[in-house]
Amino acid sequence: MATEDRFAPLPAPIWKTSRSTPRWLRTLTRLYTQPASAFGTTVFLFFIIIALIGPFIAPYGATEQIRADARQVPSAAHFFGTDRLGRDIFSRVIIGSRDILELAGLGTLLAVLAGTLFGLASGYKGGLFDEILFRLFDSLLAMPALLLALLLLGTIGPSRNSILAVIVVVYTPIVGRVVRSVVLGVKPKGFIEAAQVQGETTFHILFREILPSVFPALAVEAALRFSYAIFLVASLGFLGVGIQPPSPDWGLMVNEARNYVSLTPWALYFPAAAISLLVIGVNLMADGLKRALQVDI
Amino acid sequence: MRKIVIALVLLLFVLSSGLVNAAAPLQQEGGQEYTVQADDWLSKLADKFYGDVFNWPAIWLGTNQKAAADSSFAMISNPDIVEVGQKLWIPDAEEAAALLAEYSGGAAPAAATGGAPSGTLRVAWDIPVQLDPAFASSDSEIAILNAVYDYLVDIDPGNNIRPRLATRWAVSGDGLTYTFTLASGATFHDGSPLTANDVVWTFNRLRDPALELPTADLYQNITNVEATGDLEVTFTLAETNPFFLFDLSDNHAVILQADTADPATEFNGTGPFRVVNYTPEDRMQLQANENYFMPGKPGVAELEFIFFSDQAASVDALRGGQVDLVMRMPTPLFLALENEAGINTVSVPTNGFDLIRLRSDREPGNDPRVIQAMKLATDRQAIFETVTLGLGAVGRDSPIGPLFTAYYSEATAMPQRDPAAAQALLAEAGYPDGLQLDLHVPDSGDRPDLAVVLKEQWAEAGIDVNVIVEPESVYYGDNGWLEVDLGITGWGSRPIPQFYLDVMLVCDAEWNESHYCNPEFDQLVQTAGTTLNEQERVQAYNEIQRILIEEGPVIIPYFFPQLGAISENFTGLELKAFAGRTDLTTIRPAQSQ
Repeated sequence: MATEDRFAPLPAPIWKTSRSTPRWLRTLTRLYTQPASAFGTTVFLFFIIIALIGPFIAPYGATEQIRADARQVPSAAHFFGTDRLGRDIFSRVIIGSRDILELAGLGTLLAVLAGTLFGLASGYKGGLFDEILFRLFDSLLAMPALLLALLLLGTIGPSRNSILAVIVVVYTPIVGRVVRSVVLGVKPKGFIEAAQVQGETTFHILFREILPSVFPALAVEAALRFSYAIFLVASLGFLGVGIQPPSPDWGLMVNEARNYVSLTPWALYFPAAAISLLVIGVNLMADGLKRALQVDI
Repeated sequence: MRKIVIALVLLLFVLSSGLVNAAAPLQQEGGQEYTVQADDWLSKLADKFYGDVFNWPAIWLGTNQKAAADSSFAMISNPDIVEVGQKLWIPDAEEAAALLAEYSGGAAPAAATGGAPSGTLRVAWDIPVQLDPAFASSDSEIAILNAVYDYLVDIDPGNNIRPRLATRWAVSGDGLTYTFTLASGATFHDGSPLTANDVVWTFNRLRDPALELPTADLYQNITNVEATGDLEVTFTLAETNPFFLFDLSDNHAVILQADTADPATEFNGTGPFRVVNYTPEDRMQLQANENYFMPGKPGVAELEFIFFSDQAASVDALRGGQVDLVMRMPTPLFLALENEAGINTVSVPTNGFDLIRLRSDREPGNDPRVIQAMKLATDRQAIFETVTLGLGAVGRDSPIGPLFTAYYSEATAMPQRDPAAAQALLAEAGYPDGLQLDLHVPDSGDRPDLAVVLKEQWAEAGIDVNVIVEPESVYYGDNGWLEVDLGITGWGSRPIPQFYLDVMLVCDAEWNESHYCNPEFDQLVQTAGTTLNEQERVQAYNEIQRILIEEGPVIIPYFFPQLGAISENFTGLELKAFAGRTDLTTIRPAQSQ
């Protein structure tokens, strides 16, 4: 799989780039060469913008209940209709995007940081420390993510911080694994041995010598984890162990609307569509990123 | 020889008619009026006029029938209590016999339609956990008990006591002795006949303090239960209890065979259905009991209880034809079913309610102004319309609901909603910046929506609520709900208001979640629960309602309805407020006439 991508002929880039173009811009243009990853990246950027400006463009408050407007079909006054308590679905979806991206994003970031640290240290050090730590990670990996999440939430109780903790615990092992495998591949290389002989500190070796090699794989893994984290947050909200009502969490909205699907189906379809769109978008972007970054090596 | 025989026969006729005349009741044709004297009670009068203490229902029903047309007669709501000076109607023998027959189950109308039971009725329920009658509590568990066993007496949808295994009963004048006659011909599913000993064993088990059953408290007023005949049982009470018959019909009090080793698995009852197969968490299959002691019941040949872990799934199954009857569903699904072809929906009001309470024994609830502020900030009408969608009834902060027609009172006015005044009260109580509280809510029924609507309403008064929705097993588990400061609890429908007062609002009540303690209030509850004077009780309940509205610890925004939906292939559903007690023997396949 990796080798095939590596040697596949490159399509013509959309914009002319050169060595002087910043790397991130080069990566972005490569993302737009394929229609699938172009779509995914556009969706992701669109939701980022919505999350940033959402509270300013939302016509109603996220928890504002207008009894007279309860259970209304989508219309000009309420683009996505209203739910059983008279809350505007459009406003809730927009404002809810901020919550879900923030939570999933922060959680993924923390998981990536932790996983990188563990992976680097463990891969470089080796020995008993590596053995024990990664057997532990393996056992965590063996459990389905949702099950692990439910067990943890059952113990520490549902709240915003506990969901962050859950994302970190569930995804650190995978990130750690990926980083460790890259480190193990790089460790026997000549420049590492040279640095060791030169007397560089471990810190320098890890972060200035090894990390750049890890970075592409890490970026792809982070994007992939991000899409799964979004799905995990939505699932936990749906199961009722995520953020508590009346928060406009998309998963929670789907759960609340479930019983009312015959009266207000739009209250269920729009949040569900938003979840699907975002998860698929980020996933496609991660795929494109994988191809784009491998090319750069 | 022949002449002697004829003479003897004639003599026999004369003597027997003479006997009949001697025991003839002192009544005229068509019945008569009678004014209650001191030391009169219905069974004593029945003995006087009919020669049989157990014929008191004739006088009761006869008086009530008269009262409907003639206002000089007062309706008797509780037949154990008659007042001196009250006018009674004593029907004549024929009329009395007809009234008695009607009272004892009225099997005649049902038997007239259909003959033998036919068809299979499939009912959807939640998964039952506890099948020992002493511990069962959920609708599905009680439904199983109601099908497999019998109660001594039943409570009909109009809140009246009806005979079941006990066909007749009489109460002594001082109200402390109750004598019951059991149905003859009732047998357990294993073939052995029902005797008084089985009833005695059942109630001794339920009230045994050593077993620590939930009913031990309820029946601690009973000092003695004994078999005074092969089919006669006598209960002796320590204190008068005007609601004793309702207590005897408690959900747990089904009659078991004496010395049953393991009631949770043996399913050996006298009831209208016999268990054929039970697969836990899947389904229970039952067959009509051909030897059931009530003729003409049940109406269906086979009964199947199918268990669902999700109420929405059970409604879908009803739509798809996999079940015929669903009696527990969220309100919005009920509304969706109302317009569905092939399904009939039923809704009955109940005495069950959801309440919101703040602990009044510690901060911030120990300052009555805080609770007052919360009450002022709540718009019960809005909650009723939004959360229960207008089904059921609006609440007035007291568990005595509108169905208790004799006791419900609107004499004390409910204050208008005023968030500004609420905010001022909070400032006065020492919270000028408002309050911040955690609200614990079980995730069943309409309670999560109630929490969300309440949060919005209270925000206007400066009370910032953090909603925490928990599964029922977490909220009620380890009695955590009794510890939290602010919580929403659902209370199922009960036939008498006294129950709620006794277990929820008196100082040492077992489930006093608000930790409310007011000795004056306790005194009123005590009076209401023991006096045989109906007027006194009505007054006590009125005063109780006043106290609860003005300074009580709980907010009751609504009484919820009981909802049911049945396939058009069946008729005869008489839905009860507590769904599990619905009498499934009245349901039979619809005739395609």
